[in-house]
Amino acid sequence: MSKPVRETTRLTLAGGIPGYLEPSHALPLVSFTLALRSGAAHEPEDRGGVARLTARMFRRGAAGMTSREIEEAVDALGGEIAVDVGGSTMAFHGTVIRRNLDPFVDLVTRLLGSPTFDETELGRLRRESLAELAEVRDNDRSLAQIAFRRALFAGHPFSRGSSGTISSIPKLGVGDLREFYAKHWVRGNAVLGFSGDLDESLATSVGNKLLAALPEGPRVADDLAEPTVKTGRHLIFVDKPDRTQTQIIIGSLGTSAHDEDHVPLAVANAIFGGTFTSRLMREIRSKRGWSYGASARLSVDRRRQSFSMWTFPAATDAAACIAVEVDLLDKWVTAGITPKELGFVKKYLGRSYAFDIDTASKRLHQALDVDLLGLPADYYSNYVSHVEAVTREGANAAVAKRISLTDQLYVVVGTAADLLPAIQASIPNLESTEVVPFDRD
Amino acid sequence: MAIRKSDRRRELTDKINLTAASDAARWTFAGDTLFGSGDNAETVSSYVLGNGLTVYLLIDASAPVVSYFTWFNVGSRHEKLGKTGLAHLFEHLMFNESEGLAAGEFDRKLEENGAESNAATWVDWTYYYESLPAERFGLAVTLESQRMARLILREPQVVSEKEVVANERRYVVEDDIEGSINEQLYKTAFTVHPYHWPTIGWMEDIQAFTPEDCVDFYKTFYAPNNATVVVCGAVKEQDVLTRIRDAYGVIPASTLPVEDTVPEPPQMEERTVTMTKPTASDKLMLGYRGPALGDGDHIVLSVLNEVLFGGRASRLYRKLVIEQELATQLRGWVSTFRDPGLYEMYAAARAGTTAEQILAALEAELDIVKSEPVTEAELSRAKARLELSALQGMDTTSGKAEQIGFYATVLGDPNASFRRLEAYRRVTAGDLRRVARTYLLPRARTRIIVKPEAVTAEAAE
Repeated sequence: MSKPVRETTRLTLAGGIPGYLEPSHALPLVSFTLALRSGAAHEPEDRGGVARLTARMFRRGAAGMTSREIEEAVDALGGEIAVDVGGSTMAFHGTVIRRNLDPFVDLVTRLLGSPTFDETELGRLRRESLAELAEVRDNDRSLAQIAFRRALFAGHPFSRGSSGTISSIPKLGVGDLREFYAKHWVRGNAVLGFSGDLDESLATSVGNKLLAALPEGPRVADDLAEPTVKTGRHLIFVDKPDRTQTQIIIGSLGTSAHDEDHVPLAVANAIFGGTFTSRLMREIRSKRGWSYGASARLSVDRRRQSFSMWTFPAATDAAACIAVEVDLLDKWVTAGITPKELGFVKKYLGRSYAFDIDTASKRLHQALDVDLLGLPADYYSNYVSHVEAVTREGANAAVAKRISLTDQLYVVVGTAADLLPAIQASIPNLESTEVVPFDRD
Repeated sequence: MAIRKSDRRRELTDKINLTAASDAARWTFAGDTLFGSGDNAETVSSYVLGNGLTVYLLIDASAPVVSYFTWFNVGSRHEKLGKTGLAHLFEHLMFNESEGLAAGEFDRKLEENGAESNAATWVDWTYYYESLPAERFGLAVTLESQRMARLILREPQVVSEKEVVANERRYVVEDDIEGSINEQLYKTAFTVHPYHWPTIGWMEDIQAFTPEDCVDFYKTFYAPNNATVVVCGAVKEQDVLTRIRDAYGVIPASTLPVEDTVPEPPQMEERTVTMTKPTASDKLMLGYRGPALGDGDHIVLSVLNEVLFGGRASRLYRKLVIEQELATQLRGWVSTFRDPGLYEMYAAARAGTTAEQILAALEAELDIVKSEPVTEAELSRAKARLELSALQGMDTTSGKAEQIGFYATVLGDPNASFRRLEAYRRVTAGDLRRVARTYLLPRARTRIIVKPEAVTAEAAE
């Protein structure tokens, strides 16, 4: 079995802010992440999209620099900056060719510490964001994911994406962004990570520079409620014309990393739909050729996240495919996994762990995840041992306890006029159907 | 130092050759080349087996893993009309049954050993790869050599994979707007060259393949003298050469057909196609006839592409997305094909903007780069972006192996990615203006426009 190479270096940063370092001198590149312990789920309910807009405004004016000057400076240094906003966390990422690290860090401190939040630039970003939201409708998989998230977590902040909606974005003003920035982009809410061609001393120095740029402020309270699930089986049909193929997501609530049966459930899920030879792939792709891919996934966040199955069969095979998925799910939950399957997947997960830690960047992001999501301290570092300890009985009990057969959400993107009755008939005990146009807000 | 290393490699191959069973299983050391530049350069060693198999080896002990890529010199350009998509179908069939290995066992064995694997096909080539824990390197050699020579191609395997590929085509072409535009672009821009048809193949061809088609194709193109193996990772040279010799040395070379590709004649007038799709806004794709990957102009045009499309500070992004707010997405790409391809430009319009408006704005900017030199600052930024991108591609063993294999297969030079990087540094503003004038010719352009179908809920309101 592959073992972790070593532990990530902990940095001692000003104010006791956590920092992590994974050095690698193979390439003359340095990357860093300034992450925050809050995200889109912490937006005010009527301000959907404010977290992402705030983060995107960093590169659109800061400390006397215009958007254009910032972009040109980043490119001239052989650098790259990006922001990402998730449910419970946000991050600012920077990568630069090593020889330009100093001026790049100086630039980033200006962006993070003195964003202008210019009204004209915000107007431009709002219009850009609205156009991007319209563009998403061209992507059927994204439509399925959005519909699934909204319905599964209805009433919970996890139901919101980070992009906001066509109705929420126009309402966001400079005041909203300043308020969000002042509360979230503060020192006490930050975690820093470095990877690449730098040592502990340099990483500490850069880390303190970045932190000094942020306003003083406390960690944002972790007050998200646990999501609950709607009882019964429900179908959301996203209606889009001219589809030759469907996108299907079936699922429910899944796991929390703090569940005592989290790892057994993850191992069982790998058998069900987590590998190329999983039950789902074998039955749907290999035996029947119905879909190019078929997989099952357990998402992890600070609160219980989703369990979901994803396939994309031809429209003519969609109903039959759902029937097979329902049957496979039923057998997985009621009959469990076999000793042979467990032995196989333990080898797969243990040996393939080498590819979870083969780059400094991957190792760093494991350390950041543990800190930001509040995962058990040895979640990754003892991952292989945790997997080894899973028993068949434990895995089967986890599946039976966590995966509901009665409370399930079915999301299909397709052409309703061609498919709806057949899809409904393929789902036993279906309680409700909602047909939504693909271009709804 | 380099000479001593070469001598040592010759000594090593001489030693291994003492136990060769035949001439087909004898190694020839073909030389070392530096991969990378400056202090970070590594050595790629090249070997050729008696049956024609070429091997590139880069020993990289930065992580306990190894990547094993097999590049075949066959892509959709080697297909015939009526049999399009056959090269890509093999990307699926090769994971199926072979002698001594039942259906499904190939993937099962790899997963059981913690390996990642996948494959890709394009116009000029097909590759297969495995990345494994380094101590399991031998499994990749065994499995790849087995399926190079002893694949089983019977009705059930072919029928099942045809269906999977048909579904893949629905996913990436029929129900995907960008996929369908891209297919239409090459179909229209090329009339006689095989770049005319899509690598995934026309749907009617996919559904008509027979096991006999597959056997013919396999016997012709899947042979050691049509393949290049790239090994990158924490392995030992002697072990690599011995294992590969033992596994592949028994596979005979094939008689490769002389390629019968007809060059595409010059394009003398613009071609335009307009399509409708269920989308909220217009899309525009242009394809200017461009240079081959090995042409010096490809390097210059790639730098020009960075000036025009590379990042948010680029000319066209700033004009079309930020200042004029005409487009949501914008990208340009110079095709990296063995034969002359296209300089592609794509824009997704904002609602209320037409593709024609975007075209007018884009043409105005292209006229400027044809008449005025770009600034030194723009040129410098473009070069810095290309350097960053090249370095980022080298983070993993699989990234390195892919670069080595791609350039070795298409250009015959495993270090071409770094030679290109050096060449980018020499490009001048005058060079950019020259290639703009040479290639950005409206008469040598193909234009695909997508208009929204008026059937959406919002349109009906």
